[in-house]
Amino acid sequence: MADRGDSAFFPYQYETYDLPNGLRAILIPMSGSGLVAYYSIVRTGSRDEVEPGRTGFAHFFEHMMFRGTKRYPAEVYDRLVTEMGADANAYTTDDYTCYYLVVSRENLERVMDLESDRFQNLAYDELSFKTEAGAVYGEYRKSRVNPWAVLYEALLNTAFDRHTYKHTTIGFEEDIQKMPTGYQYSRRFFKRFYRPDNVVLLIVGDIDVEATKKLIDRYYGQWEKGYVPPDIPPEPGQKKERFKEVTYPGKTLPIVAVAYKGDAFDPTNKMIAAAYLLGNLAFGQTSEIYKKLVIREQKVQFIQSDFGFHRDPKLLTIFSMVKKEEDIPYVRQEIDRTVRRFRNQLVEAEQLEREKKHTRYSFLMGLDTPDHVASRLARWIALTADLRAVDQLHANMAQLTPEDIRAAAQRYFVKAQRTVIILKGEQ
Amino acid sequence: MKQTITLPIFVILSLFWGCSLQKGEENMVLLPVADDPTISFRILFKVGSQNDPRGKEGLAALTAAMITNGATKTRSYEAILDLLYPMAAYINSQVDKEMTVIYGRVHRDNLDDYYALLKEVLFEPAFDEKDFQRVKSNFLNYVQRTLRYADDEELGKEVLYEFIFQGTPYQHLEEGHVKSLQSITLEEVKNFYRTYYTRENVLIGLGGGFEASFPERMKADFAVLPAGNPPAVPPPQPRPFEGLHVRIVEKAARATAISFGYPIGVTRGSREFYALALATSWLGEHRNSSSHLYQVIREKRGLNYGDYAYIEHFPNGGRRQFPPTNIARRQQIFQIWIRPVPNEARLFAFRAALRELQKLVDNGMSREEFELTRKFLKNYILHFAPTTMMKLGYAMDDVFYGIKGHHLEIFRKMMDELTLQEVNQAIKTYFQYRNIKAVFVTADGQALKQALVNNTPSPIQYPTPKPAEILEEDQEIAAYPLRVKPEHVEIIPVDRVFED
Repeated sequence: MADRGDSAFFPYQYETYDLPNGLRAILIPMSGSGLVAYYSIVRTGSRDEVEPGRTGFAHFFEHMMFRGTKRYPAEVYDRLVTEMGADANAYTTDDYTCYYLVVSRENLERVMDLESDRFQNLAYDELSFKTEAGAVYGEYRKSRVNPWAVLYEALLNTAFDRHTYKHTTIGFEEDIQKMPTGYQYSRRFFKRFYRPDNVVLLIVGDIDVEATKKLIDRYYGQWEKGYVPPDIPPEPGQKKERFKEVTYPGKTLPIVAVAYKGDAFDPTNKMIAAAYLLGNLAFGQTSEIYKKLVIREQKVQFIQSDFGFHRDPKLLTIFSMVKKEEDIPYVRQEIDRTVRRFRNQLVEAEQLEREKKHTRYSFLMGLDTPDHVASRLARWIALTADLRAVDQLHANMAQLTPEDIRAAAQRYFVKAQRTVIILKGEQ
Repeated sequence: MKQTITLPIFVILSLFWGCSLQKGEENMVLLPVADDPTISFRILFKVGSQNDPRGKEGLAALTAAMITNGATKTRSYEAILDLLYPMAAYINSQVDKEMTVIYGRVHRDNLDDYYALLKEVLFEPAFDEKDFQRVKSNFLNYVQRTLRYADDEELGKEVLYEFIFQGTPYQHLEEGHVKSLQSITLEEVKNFYRTYYTRENVLIGLGGGFEASFPERMKADFAVLPAGNPPAVPPPQPRPFEGLHVRIVEKAARATAISFGYPIGVTRGSREFYALALATSWLGEHRNSSSHLYQVIREKRGLNYGDYAYIEHFPNGGRRQFPPTNIARRQQIFQIWIRPVPNEARLFAFRAALRELQKLVDNGMSREEFELTRKFLKNYILHFAPTTMMKLGYAMDDVFYGIKGHHLEIFRKMMDELTLQEVNQAIKTYFQYRNIKAVFVTADGQALKQALVNNTPSPIQYPTPKPAEILEEDQEIAAYPLRVKPEHVEIIPVDRVFED
């Protein structure tokens, strides 16, 4: 196990194991449960959808990964996973695609056999490809009734011009409709992105590290490298505030979204750590604006921030659901006032310490089962391919001062780089 | 690599049946896990939406929410949030038909502060008027907008529960109806609290790394709850019905969410329950591609995102993989959930699911299906309660169901013991496809009504080619007979649902 020193924040020992073909495995033994969480993280998501008309394809392709290989056709794969009683599924995000199985430890080798096979030898016919496109459209339809789906699509589409963050992970509807015609493209997609040098295995739970490494050699050693990163167009600097009003075809309270441009995730960058804390300090459950608008004045149903981490510069967003339409300008004013305050004034040191404590406990208390550990780490691994990011960012966070928080507010809360979306119900 | 592996701060807990669960105290369920650095609390009161007075539907849920989302006599709600926040701890509530649970989890570093607050929240709620307005407004927004408009699948399921349990204390949505919520006063909340949050009505659940003396301390502390043994609500007796009854919730929907089922007289603990659980898992294990319905409707035909079956309540299935605990009920329903299908495929998908149910009832499970499913479940059950909090919840539900031993442990054991014959017998006894209540959340309800009543065939057209055997089977599905009397179909505009 790597010696990580006394200052390490992440509470488990782990080993990072690299194969010559570029595949990386991060192994975290957690004894006692008898379970193993096996995560295959492909560092490709909707961010990589650079070709026009192919939005949503990474997600669609995630579905195709369940359509079998020559050795294990879909029905055989399904039967074997069923026999193991695995908690198995997959999901796609903007920055990565994640496939997971949580199984009893005695099934580890079987899982590795199945997963390494489909990642190297996926084979499906055009008919099943077309049928699966129907399921994806069904997923779109069931999600689309939610006002948040409408809001988020409008937000990204307005805030970005060139970068692929312009579209959501599920993609634009017209591209989803065209998916059945993309069979040949899907084969190329597989060859391009499903390569060992673009994948990290995250294996957590009741494992013997040395034995697991040998299995990785055996099952993944022959996988040919060849990942070519897509040429993702950088987003030009935003020069002017953007605004859009959208209508949700149903009843909802109005939602206000105020989004600022952020930076790419870098755990060693102090501003990234400061921005993360800034989101909660300014707009979290114990922030002044929350207490004022949610509890005292009851003007809004809620207010919250999403200042999450992304591979490329994305958004730092504040969302609020407003109870009365006529209060929208007031709520926007209050958000502006909060932003100004954090740009101009120093947060109290005690408040900052409370925020750090919250972040620490929140992260640690979530690490109580192999699956929880793996799911909490997946994004970190996807963004950096390196678990050291957890210790680095938290060490960075521990050092932050009120001046750093103000500096982050000054860096990110810039009006010209802001996008405001107002969503209102139709009826 | 070093040979020594340092003990992580968090050590995974042993499996449920490996833990020394104690049910010694009459009103306590203890689950000590020495190496768990957190402590889990589940304070369960034997009161739920079935105790809501007529016209005051939602009172139990509002009361619980006022306790966990409002001030105490000595602390404002803001101050409570300030206290909880640095600990990353929470105090939440969940209300179902039969029970209310106030629950939370804290790192043992912060136990004293947290526990002091938990007592305050439980024993000295302020029931502040401003908190009441805020909490009530959240409830109304949930019913009027979120449930009616933002989640057609959950809407369909909740309407189905009301449809099946009509005329029983289980009848209404736990969160209440618009009119009833509007009529509830703060005084009624206070009275409800005084009546039901009593010493005799509480079951204390405590799990994790607490010290040995802690349960005694809690027991003594909880003695401050007032005495009171509120009368029990008689078990719900759903009205028998014959034939296929349909409730159409009409809205401008592009896709149709469908749920259907009927009351089923089996609950956790009996051998038959596990036999039916096995059959249900084969027919439609929740969000699992092993589900037969999923294979028929999604995998082969690409009509939607998934299709599942249940013999126990499973709220918010779209957002979770495993069921929550402390939603135990004396009366369950058998239920099939068809995720949204294009409107033009709604009748076809319904017929396909009903036909599969009939095939299961008529033919039972095959040896191969039986063997695969029991093998699956034996391991899959291990995922149901990985945390102390979940294990504790299951243990408390065991108390509710009067189970000797632990449900999940029995479940696993039954997968070894049950025979195919037993499972098929249980299917014959408890599953049926003739007397069904179904809910469609869809547009153009009249057209659907006519098609149902006239048993109009519902041929399907796919945007993409399908193999010949699928197309052949489709013809049978499209003509699958539906016998629906016009008086058994009602169309309700979405804004009338959960209104009165």
